[in-house]
Amino acid sequence: MTERRVKIMSRVGLHARPAALFVQTAAKAPMDVTVALDGRDPVNAKSILAVLGLDAHHGEEVTLAAAGDGAEELLNTLESILSQEEHGRA
Amino acid sequence: MTRVLSPVAGRAIGLARVPDAVFAQAMVGPGTAVDPERRAGRSIAPVSGRIVKLHPHAYVIVDDEGHGVLVHLGIETVKLKGRGFEPLAAEGDEVNAGEPIVAWDPVVVEAAGRSPICAVVALDADGGALTRLREDGPVQQGTELFTWT
Repeated sequence: MTERRVKIMSRVGLHARPAALFVQTAAKAPMDVTVALDGRDPVNAKSILAVLGLDAHHGEEVTLAAAGDGAEELLNTLESILSQEEHGRA
Repeated sequence: MTRVLSPVAGRAIGLARVPDAVFAQAMVGPGTAVDPERRAGRSIAPVSGRIVKLHPHAYVIVDDEGHGVLVHLGIETVKLKGRGFEPLAAEGDEVNAGEPIVAWDPVVVEAAGRSPICAVVALDADGGALTRLREDGPVQQGTELFTWT
């Protein structure tokens, strides 16, 4: 299991646009991927319902987790999405 | 089977015509959109269920089949930080389809430089799961927008 702590840099938090990009990327991966806020149960990173429900805000840290081949690379990509301040058109 | 009702009155335009790629390309999920009448009103619950997320400008309701529907009032309206919106319910509330959830004014949204178009999205749904999708023509508040099986 590979884990990664990432700070949410999107100014609007993990809201519609960054959440959709994040989930779309996670959903392409063959393995299970989870995202968790501190003190809360991890949720399925491939579910837009779960990720919108997580409601991670700007500046909060989340823990990403995945296992298996390519997990490190996947977490790198997901981290880069969460580390962007803006996603596309403002 | 979930019948998803229009949260606002206006004109159905389909997701592809939403001026925001994240919705237009169905990245959030499949569904449709409504260009609302330009007058203050109250956006309703599109389905009966529990409000799992409520922002001033957007909400998610999950029905007893586990189907989550996102209503997003206007485009990029997160940046209005609630201006022009007033939540009428709370996260965790159980609501019936048709109950008012957010009071808002599309005129105020438009005056603030944002499109007031409302996206109604089936979360975690395959496109093929939606039938009887309304993507054009006038709709009343409460008109069925699509059926989710």
